[in-house]
Parts: sequence; C-alpha cells; structure tokens
Amino acid sequence: MLTFVARRLLLAVPVLLGVVFVVMLTVELIPGDAVALMLGEHATPEAVAKLRDYLGLDKPLLVRYGAYVGRVARGDLGRSIQQNRPVVDELADAWPATLELTAAALVLAAAAGVAAGVVSAVWPNSLFDGIARVGSLFGLSMPVFWTGLVLIVIFALWLPWLPVGGSGSSGHLVLPAVTLALPSIAMVARMTRSSVLDVLHEDYVRTARAKGVAERLVVTKHALRNAAIPILTLLGLQAGQLMGGAVLTETVFAWPGLGRLMVKAIFARDYVLLQGTVLVFALAFVVINLAVDLAYGALDPRIARQG
Amino acid sequence: MTRARIAIAFLLTVVLEIAGGVVAPAQAQKAGGTLTIVRPTDPVSLDPQLETTAPGAWVYFNMLEPLLTMDEKMQIRPSLAASYEVLSPTRVRFKLRPGVKFHDGTPLNAAAVKFTFDRALRGTPPARWASLAGSLSGAEVVDDLTVDVTTREPYGPILRTLAMYCTGIVSPTAVQKMGADFSRAPVGTGPFKFVEWKTNTHVILERNPDYWGDKALLDRVIFKVVPEEGARMIALQTGDADMVLLPAPAQLPALKRDSKYVVHEVVGGRVVFAGMHAALPPLDDVRVRTALLHAVDRKAILENILEGSAVPARGVLAPSVFGFKDMQLDRLYPFDRAKAKALLAQAGFTPGPDGVLQKSGQRLSLSWLAARGRYPKDGEITEAIQAMFKEVGVEAKVQFLEWAAVFTQFRAATLNQHMFTLGWVTSNADADYSLYALFHSKQVPPTGWNTSRYANPRVDTLVEQARRSLNQTEREKLYGEVQDILAREMVWIPVYNTKEIVVTRANVKGFTVHPVEYNLWLGKVWLDK
Repeated sequence: MLTFVARRLLLAVPVLLGVVFVVMLTVELIPGDAVALMLGEHATPEAVAKLRDYLGLDKPLLVRYGAYVGRVARGDLGRSIQQNRPVVDELADAWPATLELTAAALVLAAAAGVAAGVVSAVWPNSLFDGIARVGSLFGLSMPVFWTGLVLIVIFALWLPWLPVGGSGSSGHLVLPAVTLALPSIAMVARMTRSSVLDVLHEDYVRTARAKGVAERLVVTKHALRNAAIPILTLLGLQAGQLMGGAVLTETVFAWPGLGRLMVKAIFARDYVLLQGTVLVFALAFVVINLAVDLAYGALDPRIARQG
Repeated sequence: MTRARIAIAFLLTVVLEIAGGVVAPAQAQKAGGTLTIVRPTDPVSLDPQLETTAPGAWVYFNMLEPLLTMDEKMQIRPSLAASYEVLSPTRVRFKLRPGVKFHDGTPLNAAAVKFTFDRALRGTPPARWASLAGSLSGAEVVDDLTVDVTTREPYGPILRTLAMYCTGIVSPTAVQKMGADFSRAPVGTGPFKFVEWKTNTHVILERNPDYWGDKALLDRVIFKVVPEEGARMIALQTGDADMVLLPAPAQLPALKRDSKYVVHEVVGGRVVFAGMHAALPPLDDVRVRTALLHAVDRKAILENILEGSAVPARGVLAPSVFGFKDMQLDRLYPFDRAKAKALLAQAGFTPGPDGVLQKSGQRLSLSWLAARGRYPKDGEITEAIQAMFKEVGVEAKVQFLEWAAVFTQFRAATLNQHMFTLGWVTSNADADYSLYALFHSKQVPPTGWNTSRYANPRVDTLVEQARRSLNQTEREKLYGEVQDILAREMVWIPVYNTKEIVVTRANVKGFTVHPVEYNLWLGKVWLDK
C-alpha cells in the first residue's frame, strides 16, 4: 500500500516537469511580451530592454527552464514578474479559497447528485424522475456566469439573505458553491441513476430481494455499493473540473481563488506566476487521481488485492 | 538668443496660494464611517515604482502625495511643495511645506524628495513611471526644506510631470526598512494610511490623524475587487458598495433617474481612434484618408454603440489636456458619403465589379488590426466603421487579436496593417506627451508611438520647439499650429473621448470625479447617514 502511494507520487515528478515545460513553451510561442505589457503604452525601448535583462527574460528558453526547475527543486517558485512578489505568497493567498470552494461544491455535487440519482433509479419514470431529468438538463446547459448572476439577483438583491460576493464567512460560500456545483450535481445525478438502474437488474440484487432483505438495504448496501465505482470515477474527474472551472464562478462572485490568479497571469504573460499556478493545479490532479484509486480499493477489495 | 537670455526670460517666480480657497460647505460635513468602493481588478502593487495603472493608482493616490497636484479643472496646485520658482530652463526650486510627517512619523524633507526621484530614475530596474517623466533627471538637496528638481534639457512639461499621480514622495526610512514589502504597504504623507491588503479581495485604508492639511472625514476606505460588471452594479444596489468604478454603461440612464444614486461624470483624457498607416498605399494619399473620415458617421457610433458613456473626439487630444485645440472635425469632415466617393474618385478609384473600388486593377481593400475589450466598445466601433467603409466602396479586413498580441505588433519597427484601433491617454495632461510621441517623424515604434508613420518636418520642428520652451503661452500657440496641420492631413479617425464615470449612493458627499482617471481623491468625501 505504502509503496503503491510512493510509486505514484514519484511518477508525478516527470508529469510536473513536462507540465512546466509545456507552459513555458506556450508562453514563448504565443505573441505578447510580459515586460512590454507591464511597462505599458508609454515605455521606452531602453526601459523594456533594461527590465528584460533584470528579470533574466533575455536568456534562452532552455536556460530559463533549467534555472526554474533548479529553483523549484529547492522549494523556490520565483517572484512574479508583474508584482515582484514571491509566487509562493501569491499561491498561499489564493489556494485556500479555491480549495474551500471546490470542496464545498464537490460535497454538494456528491450529496445532492447521488441522492437525486438513487431516488430516480428506484422510482424510474416517476414525477420526481421527470423533474430531476429536466433539472439536470437545465443544470448542465446553463453557463455558470448566468446562473451565478441569477442567484445573486434572487438571493442578494430581492431576498437580501446572502452577500453579493467576496469571501470571509460561510454565508459568502453558499452562492458560489451552489453555482459551481450545479452542472456537477446534474452529471452525478444522471450517472448515479443509470448505474444504479443497471445494478438493480443484476442477479445478486434479485437474490437479495428473494432472500427477504429489506428494500432500503438492497438499494444502499447491494446496489449503491456496486454502482459506486463509475460514480466515484466521475466525482474524481469532477473534482479536477470544478477546480479548473472555478474561474468563471470566482469572477462572478469576486472569489479570491487560484483560477483568477491564473487568468491574470496569462493576460499579463507573467510566466513565473503562471507556472506556479499550473504546478499547483497539476499537483492537485495527481493527488485527486491517487485518492480516487485508493478509494476504489476501499470500495472493491478485488481492486485492492491487484494493487 | 543666448542661454543666459533664455534663462532670464524664464526667471519668473510663481508663489502658489498655500492654503487654497476654502469654499463654504453647502451642508454640514459629517465625519466618520466607512466608504466601500468596488472596482474590477486588484492592484499590481501599491508602489508607483511598480504600478502606474489605475487599479493601483486609485488606492495609492490617497496615501502618497506628489510635490504638486492637478485639480479637477486641470490647474496645477501645491501639494507637498508650498511654492516653486523656475530658476533656469532645466532647474525648478521647490520650497517644501514645513512640519509634514510621513505615516511612520519620519519628517518630509528635501532628502526624501531626492530619495524618491533617485529610486525612480536610477533604481534597478527604474520605476515604471520613469519613462513617463520625459527629461526629468533628478533632485538636489539645497537645504532641509528646499529642493531643486533638474531636467537633462529644457523641458516644458516639467511642472505637469511633477503633478502626475505616480510621482508621490515615499518615506525613505520605510523603503529601506521594508524592502520589497513596501510595494504592498506603502508609507507616504497622504490623508489616508495603509491598513491591510488581502490579495484579490480588498485593500483597506484609514484616516491619517496627523495629516498636514484638512483631515479626511472618512474613518476608513475599503477598495473591494468585484470583477463582474453586473455583480458590481448589484453590490451598489444592495448597499454592499457605496461607490462603483467602471460602472456598466447600459445602466447609467436608469441610475441617473434614480434619486438613490448619483452619477458623477466628466470628460476624461483618453481618445479612442481608428489609426491610418500614412506611409502605406493607398493611405499615403491624403484624399483617401480624408475620404474615409467623411465615410464615418461618428454621431451614430456615439449614440448607438457608446450609449452616452463617451463624447465625440474633438481632435487627437482630449479637451482637458494643456495645449488642446479643437480640430473642428464635424465642420471639416462631416459625415457625407457623396463627398467621400468624390474624393476617392479624385484619387483615381473607380467602381469595380464586386462593388469595391479599384485603381489599375487593385481593389481598395484595407487590412485592419484591432483588439477587443482593451478600450470600451473598441471591437464594436471597429466593426461599425468597417460597415460604413463598405457603403462607400472600401473593403476593410479586420483581424481581431487579443491585446497582448496586438500590442506586440504595434511595438514592432514595421507595421503591415493599413488601419488599427487604438486608444491614447495623455498621462501628464500636457500636449507634449502625445503630439511628440505620436506625430514626430523620429518617434516611429519601437522608439515612440507614431504608429501612423506620419512625417512632416514642420510638425517635427514645432513639437521640438514646444518641448524645449518653458513659456506656456508660446507652447500653447505652437501646439495649436501642430493641431491645425494635423487637421488638414488627418492620419486618424478620432472616434470618441472617454468619460470618467463614477457612480455613488446618494449619501456619499464631497466627491468630484477627476478628468484623469487615476486621480481618485477621497480626502474630502464624507457620508451623510
């Protein structure tokens, strides 16, 4: 078990090295120069050259890559080009907010999605099932910046229950978490419905019912546990999606997270800051995937034995 | 004229009013309370050394004060300097206000002024505003409260340069003690001092109880980040915000009718225009360029696209800029398609088979580079003009790219585009800043911003002469002549002049919006609860 975790984490190293290289190459290839942008319309060419030199941006790509990797290995992510501030500090400011929002949305997606999916599967084609299916279509189709604004108008303007935006209290978390979770709730609900429905037709479920197990136990213990693998896979994918997809939600609700930090870095061509944020995202993906794999083992002993 | 005689000619002493006229308040001012401001982006930094754009300037303008300041009528007023005297065309002597203290308790003196300018002009790297400061070369300490500011060569705009929002004097003790952290917690002399900056969330300032002038009335100011325009407007309605910067233009008419809000607006300093490459055929022919001006219905653009959030540009400069002269565009180049077609016919263009004009088999097709979202409605106005060109038989092929990519092409030594959409703000409010960098033949990128590749020896002479003169009346005349020449040779289609618009709740009093967007002065603001 421990060797499994250690091996997986070690495998993350080449992934991260590759990610950094791709980011650096992309920034190099797309038009736009960080220093010229930073100094603005009125900069003299001498000023631009001086600052490029000062920031080491005039060195070749591979040299900068090597220097960057060397620094990262020592735990130094460098200083952002724009703000001249340690990237570690920028990330430390932003990642707790993103983690908080993503975790809240994920819990919401799992709880509401699984509950709705199970009810739909147990009573297929019922009124609830119909509403849930139309609802998930809606949840999947509406862009978050629209649902976000609608929720703000309803719950902050008409019924002044919740703050318009910003962060700080649990009240601030409600609207962005719901907005972010809606498409995921919809997806989890649909996946849960179909996979529970499949399992409910399996022989062992018929056996369980035949031997007189209560219907509630049949659904929760026999059906749901066996249907859980695809749901868990989806939740794992959603966790990554929620984190990356939080950018729009973070913008609508003025949530000070990583997504906004990354977009800011892209527009400013601040490759140092961009690499820092991408590294955090990549690391988070690795950890989430690992967690999902470990959870498979917990749910299904056959997988654990193979691992 | 010898140097000495020039020096004597400009040996004029101007003593500025120290206290400034006190206007009797119409309503009793109330002290106290917190003003919450929402705006779209977090500052890059709160130190002008690293940040000259609005998100940072809005905040630090209330903490760091320059030697001089520009009032809402664009007149130069004393700030940390009580008076000044032009000693020679390259040297201005400032008498500092006595008894002024920085927020850290250290005194403001001539050494602090010299420190600020040395750091900005000779630091590694130099300040972001160093390239806005023209020939400014440094400061010399005369005595504790007297400092000489020097320029490399006679530099007409020097006083306006020293009144720029980003030339605030910083506490040398604090800079030395805090190092890089200074940029996140600056120490100046202003009516507000720094409390807290939570990245991407808020910046908090509080009243400086030891301020040298009229103390601020507000206890605290909170600058919140709300990136989404709709969410900013809702925050104003719910009372989460008292003041909105960059409000949604579409909502302004409704807000103006509502007595719960006040829409503060003034014509700002930025001109947004469709530029023409004057060295690239067929735009090297002035008849073609002026024909294009006649083809554009600016009134329709202003009314339908900008919806009252801007005013028609009256030339290449904004009216608030020193040296501005109305270029009479509506009189010289009224919207007139027949006139446009006639001018193009004179230039030798005849209708082609596909409705596009042509000359010796060459279609009149213009390439056009534009960004979307860099300036208000820049994409929309570009498309509108493209459609208007089509009406007179001119094809425009517009390429929309992200600003960073457009910017790179603008800064390159060659530009292979006939047209470009661009905005220009005269940062120091002096015509030199724009007329020199935009129209002097030696200011082609990457040196300057003559993206039109305009070249006229007379204009070169005039802008050089005006830059070296410290006689403001003479300068105004020289710039007038430059604008008369430009009005005849038109290398831009000036479209609109931005308005600076700030919306507050009705209980916010004492606020005046400034033509320079960076100068968001909160020293006189109070809340009527």
